[in-house]
Amino acid sequence: MRDVRIRTCVAAVLSCVAFFSIEGAVAALTWWLFFSHPLENLKKIRVVFPVIFMIIFFCGVLELTGGGGVSYGVRMLTILALGTWLYVEHRRGEFLHLGTWLFGNRIGFDIGMLAEMGMQTLDTLASDFLWIRMAQKLKGKPFGVKNLVPTGLILIDRTIRRAEDVAEMLAVRGYSGGGTFCPEFEGSRRDVVGVLVALLFVFISFIPASEFFILYR
Amino acid sequence: MAVPHVKIVLRNVRSCRKNWSLTAEGIFCEGLHLVTGPVGSGKSTLALILAGLFNPSSGYVERDAVSSVMLSFQYPEYHVTGTTVEEECSSWGRDPDAILQAVNLTSKKEASPLKLSRGELKMLHLECILAGHYDLLILDEPFSSLDCFGKEKISRMLSHRFRGITIIFTHEQAIFPRVDHIWEIQNRELQACGKPPEAFLQWHNAPAMIKNLIAAGKTPKNLSPEDLMEVACGT
Repeated sequence: MRDVRIRTCVAAVLSCVAFFSIEGAVAALTWWLFFSHPLENLKKIRVVFPVIFMIIFFCGVLELTGGGGVSYGVRMLTILALGTWLYVEHRRGEFLHLGTWLFGNRIGFDIGMLAEMGMQTLDTLASDFLWIRMAQKLKGKPFGVKNLVPTGLILIDRTIRRAEDVAEMLAVRGYSGGGTFCPEFEGSRRDVVGVLVALLFVFISFIPASEFFILYR
Repeated sequence: MAVPHVKIVLRNVRSCRKNWSLTAEGIFCEGLHLVTGPVGSGKSTLALILAGLFNPSSGYVERDAVSSVMLSFQYPEYHVTGTTVEEECSSWGRDPDAILQAVNLTSKKEASPLKLSRGELKMLHLECILAGHYDLLILDEPFSSLDCFGKEKISRMLSHRFRGITIIFTHEQAIFPRVDHIWEIQNRELQACGKPPEAFLQWHNAPAMIKNLIAAGKTPKNLSPEDLMEVACGT
């Protein structure tokens, strides 16, 4: 989906639907499978795999101890899948366009810029993490529990230093809040189809399963 | 029994990314190699390929008798695994007292390595690395963040390194160690300039100082500050 407004809106709606019911989660997951290039997305952001395993693990524990683990797992994995799609599809500067379009040049600009900085930080953290792992491997200290603390400290330190640099740069340029920005968006026919199908799936998710499966009654 | 000579051979190595590519072919034998090139030319990518941390898009790298490899990244904090400066020295298997004395950081041995300035951390990191013996030692921008004294000190240490292959990737323009081979990345290709002083004539983007000396008919024997001083001040 090219238009960030449609993409964010669809992700938000489908996430809510997935969170509130298992039917909604199945509908949202089906939409994700058909409209998000799932394999390409997962290849681009492999860091998501440990999170998937963690969710599956806790769902297993929940299912064994009190029940409801499967439902929780499907809903959480669907939300994770939608988040992954939103993250991978993001192109630099989009949230600035979205923020300004939503809330104007003052607060909207600030929110958009913050969101954009957050996304860039995520990219940098992922890149830093790869370099740290390589450095530790060279040092003969493969990544493991023992290295978690120093790794975390390096990531935090570099993030804070970068944030300080950005803050200084903004101050030097005279930034005190808000800005002037003309948001622009580009859409495609596929965006419209994606929205219509998402709305259809949302509608379907509110219809009780018994309406579809007569024997279920 | 003859001691095998360490050697790295690049055969039709090519690394590609979207609109960028780098090709490399050549033999890195024992000694100190200097690889120069502008920012974004692919020095770090080539360093990763040589260290075996990154696979080229095509071609291959042969490593003969290379049993220990170390690559020093441009940002020294990536290598930090100790929570104090002293621990950091120990994590490299070095004697903390000797290292800290050499880099004048004895008073900060209880401090976090991440609280040191970038220059201090870089010196500490290089001192730890250069105290070790590696068949292949690759230094990516070893002079960045260092002041002139630091650069000269590291250059002296590198000049006196005799074992194995040492490869320096840098765009430093003023202070160098005494090197055995010069390479240059130009037009997206690694090119061998040869051994100094003959290499200076093949070195297209040589530092201005070297070019000026050669233009004045004074060819230095090598790149170290002593060599340059000798030829510059000679009559």
